[in-house]
Amino acid sequence: MTSLFKNIFKLCLAIIVFGGDVIANDLRVTDIPIQEGGRIKPLDTYARNQALAFYGKRKIKHENLSAIDWLLNLFTNPDKGLEQQIFNIRNPEVVNALELEWTNNFHKYSYNEIYPGVENQLTLIRSIFEKKEKDRDTFESQFAELYQNIMKYREIVSSLSCLLPLFTVYSPETAESLHISPGQSTSYAHIMSHRASLFDASQGILTKPENEWSETEREIALLLYNLQQASADEFAKALKIIPPSKNDSTGLWISPWELFDGREIEPHQDKIIKSLEKFLLARFQNDVSAQNAALKSYKAGVLSYPGERINFSVLKNESWLNKANLFTNSLVFYLLGFIFLGISWMIRPTLFRRIAFCSLILGFLLHTYGIFLRMVIMSRPPISTIYETVIFVGFVIVLFSLVIEYIRQDGLGVFLGSISGAMLHYVGFGYAADGDTLEMLVAVLNSNFWLATHVTTIILGYGTSLMAGLIGHLYLIEKIRVPKDSARLKSIYNNMFGVTLIALFFTLFGTILGGIWADQSWGRFWGWDPKENGALLIVLWQLMMVHMRLSGLAKPDKFALGMVLNNIIVIMAWFGVNLLSIGLHSYGFVSGIAVNIILFTIFELVTGFGTYYWARSKKRLAL
Amino acid sequence: MKDQLIKLFSSPKLFVYSLVWLMILVTIGTVSQKDIGLYASQQKYFSSYFFTFGFIPFPGGRIVLTLMLINLISMMFKQNLWKMKKLGVIVVHLGGIMLLVGAGLTAMFSSEGSMVIEEGSKSNTVDDYHITELAIINVSNPNYDQYTIFGKPLFSSGNNLMHENLEFDITILDYMDNATLETAEGTSKVGFKGMLSNFNLVELDRDKDDMKNKPAIIFQVSGTFSDTDGIYGLIFGQSVPATLTTNSNQYVMALQKKKTYLPFAIELEDFKKVMHPGTEVAKSYSSKINLIENNIPRPVLIEMNKPLRHQGYTFYQASFIESPNGEETTVLAAVNNYGRLFPYISSIVMSIGLLLHMLVSMPALFKKKKS
Repeated sequence: MTSLFKNIFKLCLAIIVFGGDVIANDLRVTDIPIQEGGRIKPLDTYARNQALAFYGKRKIKHENLSAIDWLLNLFTNPDKGLEQQIFNIRNPEVVNALELEWTNNFHKYSYNEIYPGVENQLTLIRSIFEKKEKDRDTFESQFAELYQNIMKYREIVSSLSCLLPLFTVYSPETAESLHISPGQSTSYAHIMSHRASLFDASQGILTKPENEWSETEREIALLLYNLQQASADEFAKALKIIPPSKNDSTGLWISPWELFDGREIEPHQDKIIKSLEKFLLARFQNDVSAQNAALKSYKAGVLSYPGERINFSVLKNESWLNKANLFTNSLVFYLLGFIFLGISWMIRPTLFRRIAFCSLILGFLLHTYGIFLRMVIMSRPPISTIYETVIFVGFVIVLFSLVIEYIRQDGLGVFLGSISGAMLHYVGFGYAADGDTLEMLVAVLNSNFWLATHVTTIILGYGTSLMAGLIGHLYLIEKIRVPKDSARLKSIYNNMFGVTLIALFFTLFGTILGGIWADQSWGRFWGWDPKENGALLIVLWQLMMVHMRLSGLAKPDKFALGMVLNNIIVIMAWFGVNLLSIGLHSYGFVSGIAVNIILFTIFELVTGFGTYYWARSKKRLAL
Repeated sequence: MKDQLIKLFSSPKLFVYSLVWLMILVTIGTVSQKDIGLYASQQKYFSSYFFTFGFIPFPGGRIVLTLMLINLISMMFKQNLWKMKKLGVIVVHLGGIMLLVGAGLTAMFSSEGSMVIEEGSKSNTVDDYHITELAIINVSNPNYDQYTIFGKPLFSSGNNLMHENLEFDITILDYMDNATLETAEGTSKVGFKGMLSNFNLVELDRDKDDMKNKPAIIFQVSGTFSDTDGIYGLIFGQSVPATLTTNSNQYVMALQKKKTYLPFAIELEDFKKVMHPGTEVAKSYSSKINLIENNIPRPVLIEMNKPLRHQGYTFYQASFIESPNGEETTVLAAVNNYGRLFPYISSIVMSIGLLLHMLVSMPALFKKKKS
């Protein structure tokens, strides 16, 4: 508990000083820009993504190492990296296929352990890759993934080997021609930048027979041989941290090794590579001030790139967001809110309900700030991926719960908000476990105007619809618990109907806006595509409920049941239609979600009808 | 009597029952897309008046939506509706009427097709996505071609097609929605002409994706009283054009997607695809075109989400083709829709109505607890 409060305190402090933090000029190693997945992101995010892919978590837990430290250790000590037990294999079949033992060290294996097994199974791997992705079984897709992972790992490990001081020169003349002192070690990159003088010095070797070589010439020959060996790492092009040449039109950043393929190195690239070399050396020697100096000149190097200017404050925002875990902390406050509400049912109702309310507000503020920062980083509206829909629906429900709590002041809003906010955060974590949640968008979605209008409106509709369904649940429960308190039941029913009208507004307007977007970009307002039909079903269901109420076909109990069942339709439209994997909207497919949807449907059917009939049987008894 | 009719047709219960049926239709029509594809499902459940399940007929989308429109309009004649506090409700339902009327106009009068243009070339025709037609082109005159077009409704077996432009008769023998060619080894091909003297047309199951279907037609030509009489076959997209020569004229025949000729042309100057750097994810597609009208070109850039609107037609960046030698071809979707403004207006009207209604009713629904 103490560590929790410490974290909260640190977090508040961080938020307060955050403004000043951005103004500070120094570059931290976490904020080094790198291009991955089509965008420029901080090295910290890259490190976390890699840790997640290989290890399954965003930090190396069993060594208590942050992702960035782990990555930097790989760079400074590649050989040790190949020994590090970092690959988390969860499937015993894969372990068997690699002829490894299943029991070792919580199923974590090193590159050097896995590689021999992979070499023996190349025929199998080739046959897997000849299959289409959807035809592979679980073993095959995991084996293929592991193969890709260890290949990528090998590449990452060697990405900066050209900057390591691996070559020692003792002869004074050679050392002088390379601008170092005798006995000093230097890197491939440094030697290549003085290759002209080395070339002059090596002329003698070619003309003389080997037994006439001087000590110096022998050293040069050895050095050339070693350089040749080291250049075997040239394949390691994973780390795209260097802005391209100013004449480049592709926008593709390059990796350090690519600089030595014979191209002309431009001033900003030279500065970056030299600063990075200094940084790695300083880090190896644990010299903090030298590290900071190197990073300072690194930043200057990046800023001297004549192309599109790199926005360091955005990078800083992102690595701060990575560290702050705003959504986890928001979850903690939601859970606390629920606990305090529970306490309020036993003692000091008013006091503890207020504390619970405050806790919910704090969680909501963190939630909001997280969404806000993500918008700033990607400079786009809040929702564009399925992960973001989950986060935003949570936001909407908690927001409305706060309003309801403010109006009712009886804990109902806190109850709704804390439970659903926490649940949706959990669902969100499930999605976040798949990789970087800040993704680039395909062309048709790449429109901030429509993301801001249609997508936001429809997700507001999903959120408020679920909210109405939750109140529906509560109404039925209260009907069983306090059937005689008609004033309370009446007020809950009114709230539910109010939220239903709001939900209808957003789903109707959002669906029509979607049609207008489709008209703008595909040329038809309505195409009976599964996602469109899903949204339409929500609208139709809600229209039906409203008119059933109007025509007397649905009394309050039935209306509540109808809104509970509406939840099933919302979930079907939100996640279910992706399962059909057809249609223009089938992005965001996640395997294994079918089971969850079925479980949810069964839960809603059982609790909905169960409470409905229970409430009615009570009424009958009472008559 | 009139009041009773209005009461019956304007009943909210009628609306509820229509909604229930519409929801069932939408669900079936969505799920069945997995098996029969979007186009067939849409034709069967939504763009139909009736569809049969087994042999029992059920009302299709058009009947239900028409019923809902009647329901909405009759509601406007209710005496007790026209009150100030129901203003929001009235406005919402007026918006609903507009939406349904617009949908009707679109369903009746809109057409959509595609325009395929290679870089450097131009086109003035729009090919319909789905509807096929039989084109018989008299190419004997060096100054112009004479087109005779027969539409798909005429393609039932045994139909005789005649036209004053043609000096021969056509009798339809068979029409297939999807077919392929097979070499006709060992089978007797006496009386078969053109492509069919070497190949057979074999019917295939309809593909879920209607664009992948290759329709084919087999027909008998008679009345030329020459060797030209015989059985001919055509398949959509065939590479070798089918020809027919009579004593006085020469014809080219094709089974093609219904072509619409525009009073202007579009020339593709450059197609551009931009990727997010280092990924396989496309960031944008665009076509730089010249819109040529009365021989006067005007440069236009068509992008994703930024179509070109001209003379009632709207052109969208829909797709592209890249050939291995680097030549690019753009595929523009061309849509002609008279109802397209209705959703824009009705959405605004409905939103205003709902907001008005909420303004009136919300305070009562969210009463603050008296402390």
